[in-house]
Order: sequence, then structure tokens, then C-alpha cells
Amino acid sequence: MHPNEAALNEYADGSLGAAERAAVEQHLAACASCRQLVDDLRDILRATGDLEPLDAPVRAWPRLERAIRLEREHATQLTDEPPSSHAAATPGEAGSFRKYATWLAAAAALVLAAVVGMRYTPARPADVPATASAGSGAASAAGGVAVSIETELRQAEAHYENAIKGLEAIATTEQSELDPRTAATLQKNLAVIDQAISESRAAVRLEPASEPAQQSLIEGFKTKIGLLQDTVALINEMRKGNEAGAARIVSGLKQKGN
Amino acid sequence: MDLVASIQAGDVDAFEALYRQYSAKIYTLASRMAGSPEDGEDLLQEIFLQAYRKIGSFKGDSALGTWLYRLALNHCLDYVRSRRAKMNKLTETLDAETSFEPAARRDTPIARMDLERAVERLPEGCREAFVLHDVEGFDHKEVADLLGIAEGTSKSQVFKARLKLRGFLGKR
Repeated sequence: MHPNEAALNEYADGSLGAAERAAVEQHLAACASCRQLVDDLRDILRATGDLEPLDAPVRAWPRLERAIRLEREHATQLTDEPPSSHAAATPGEAGSFRKYATWLAAAAALVLAAVVGMRYTPARPADVPATASAGSGAASAAGGVAVSIETELRQAEAHYENAIKGLEAIATTEQSELDPRTAATLQKNLAVIDQAISESRAAVRLEPASEPAQQSLIEGFKTKIGLLQDTVALINEMRKGNEAGAARIVSGLKQKGN
Repeated sequence: MDLVASIQAGDVDAFEALYRQYSAKIYTLASRMAGSPEDGEDLLQEIFLQAYRKIGSFKGDSALGTWLYRLALNHCLDYVRSRRAKMNKLTETLDAETSFEPAARRDTPIARMDLERAVERLPEGCREAFVLHDVEGFDHKEVADLLGIAEGTSKSQVFKARLKLRGFLGKR
């Protein structure tokens, strides 16, 4: 008789007691399929142990910095106190620019807040199995779920479109700040994303309940918002004269364009 | 002035230094727990914003990195709990068992990106237990406490995750 999978997992882990370990080893010596399973589990454990940290997207810090600055501005306004010395603008941020940058940051952060609060998570196929195998009651429930998901999708679409509109307005007005090559790269990337959104939208129209089509549309929106947020962040960094920050964002934009 | 004191005094550059030191670790945890790099990015943003707001209450009882990691972990756990509650509501009458087509058997070494994608595909529940136990290194008792489940459930969820990964990665 084969050991159960829990015992084989614990054997692969090295957490099995001595007596059970000996019994499993005896079985493995004679059973190729269990040996294969243990080898595979060890491969997976080894690969998991070798996983490396993922790099956070380059746009993440400028987004966070904007949100922090906005929060500080807001707190300062609430307390109606002059900014203290430690709350002064960072080097490179001064005079009339500060007012302007604050406006940009506020606009971008508002859009960001709207998007962060709107996490659309379409149900995966695994979560919504085929109604044919789920019985009539479940079929009716699945129908309800499909309607609910479509409604959510429509709400998400409207939400993303509003966010995109706001960001586009900022990016379009201020794009003259960017050098022509960067602006061209952005336009090229936006055109590719728009095309993908348009195709996904057509696919959703054809098959409104198709989860891959819905996901693809939502991903398109998210990508476009990410790119527009990068654009606003880049404009901010250039106005601040922060070359290192701008270079980091441009490098991220180029990677996306490849 | 040390890093904590500078951040507590409102120095954004000092906070950026903290972010640069820990963002990869926190983003990695958040992306894997959420099963999506996009959600991981949103969580990263929320976690650091929360850290900025709460840094005033940091007393130095633990290392700053430990404090930040604990804050991140709690935030990720809140997120997965709330998402699970939402999904349970949607699918409460449906069979939650995941079905998948196992990939054709491959005997080549597991590529890192393939494993990352396979982890993203794991069903909720077993993905969190797997990430906490096999990736983050918590023992089953700690995983059980963090996820509010029994220790035996933590073990079975981690085992289930490994078997699913085996299928996704063409290891059977």
C-alpha cells in the first residue's frame, strides 16, 4: 500500500519521525511512482528556496511620494499652522513651482486613490465551475454570479475610464515638458495599449461572460493607467529637477516599450 | 539623527531610504500573497503609506525591518481575508474545488518565472499557506495562527499547493 500524500510531503520536507521515515524509505525503494512524486516535491521545494525578491515597479515610489506629500499638505491645512522646518520642500522644489507641483500631485493622487480603492477581481474559472456539472440550483446561482460579474465589469469600466480621463488631461496639458523622444515613446505605448483595449472591448461585446476577455480588458485599463501615472510622475520629477528620479521612470517606460 | 528619528521628524528623503531598502521584500510578499503583481503594487503603496502614518508609534522594541514586515504581513492578511469573504459570497453555492489541466510532464529544472506564474495560479487558501510556509519560512503553527486555521489545515493546504504546482509545472 502507498503511503498517503501527507506522509510523502512530510518525507520530502524532512519532518517525518524516524519510524515513519524508515517505512516510507522502504516503500520508495520498491515504488517508482512514489519515488517520482518525492523527487518532484523536492524539486519544487528547491526551486521555491531559490526564488528571489521581485523588484517593485519604478513608478511605485513616485506614486507613494505624491500621496505622502498630499497627505502632509492636507495635514498642514487642517492644523492651519505654518510648515515646520522639517516639513520643508525637498531640494529642487521651490517658489512658484511648489504650488504647481502640489496641484499636479493632488490631481494624480486623487485618480490614484480612486483606482486603488477599486480592485476588480473577476472570478477565475476555478471559482466558477461549469454549470453543467454543478446541478440546476448551482446553475441558477452561476447565472446570478455571471450577471453580477457583468455588472461589476461595467462599473469597473466606467471607473477606469474616469480615472484615465483625469490622467490624460494632466498628461496632455503638460506633455510639452517632456523631451520629444520620450513623448514619442509614450505616444507609441499608449497607441499599443489603446489598440489592446479596443480589441478586448470587442471581445467582451461578443462574449460578455468570457472571463479571459474581461480580464484582458481590465488589464488594458490598468496598464494604461500605470503608463499615464508614470507620465505624470515623470513630469513632476523633471519640474523638480530630479534627474535621477526622472531617469528611473524613463528607464521603466523604455522597458515597457520593448 | 538615525533613520527612524529622521522619518519620525517628517523627512521624506529618509522615508525614501527606508522604501529603497525594503520595497522589494514587501512587494514580493504582497504580490505572492495576492497572487497578482498588480494587486501587489497596490498593496505596496498602501503598506508604505500606513508605515508613514504609523512610524510615530514605532518604539524600537523590534528592528525597524521586523516592524515593517509585520505591518506588511497584517495588511496582506487583511486583504486576502476580505477578498476571500467577497468571493465566498459570490460562489457560496458552487463547488469551490479547483480543476486544472496538468501540463505535460517535463524533467527540466524549474525556471523561476514558471514557478512565480504557477504560484499566482494557486487557489486562494492554499496559496497563502504555501507562501507563508514554503517561501516566507513560517512553521505550520505560525501559519495557522496567522491565517486563523488549524495547524492540520495549514499542512494540508501547503501539501495541496505543492501537488497543484507539480501539475502546473508539468512535473507529472
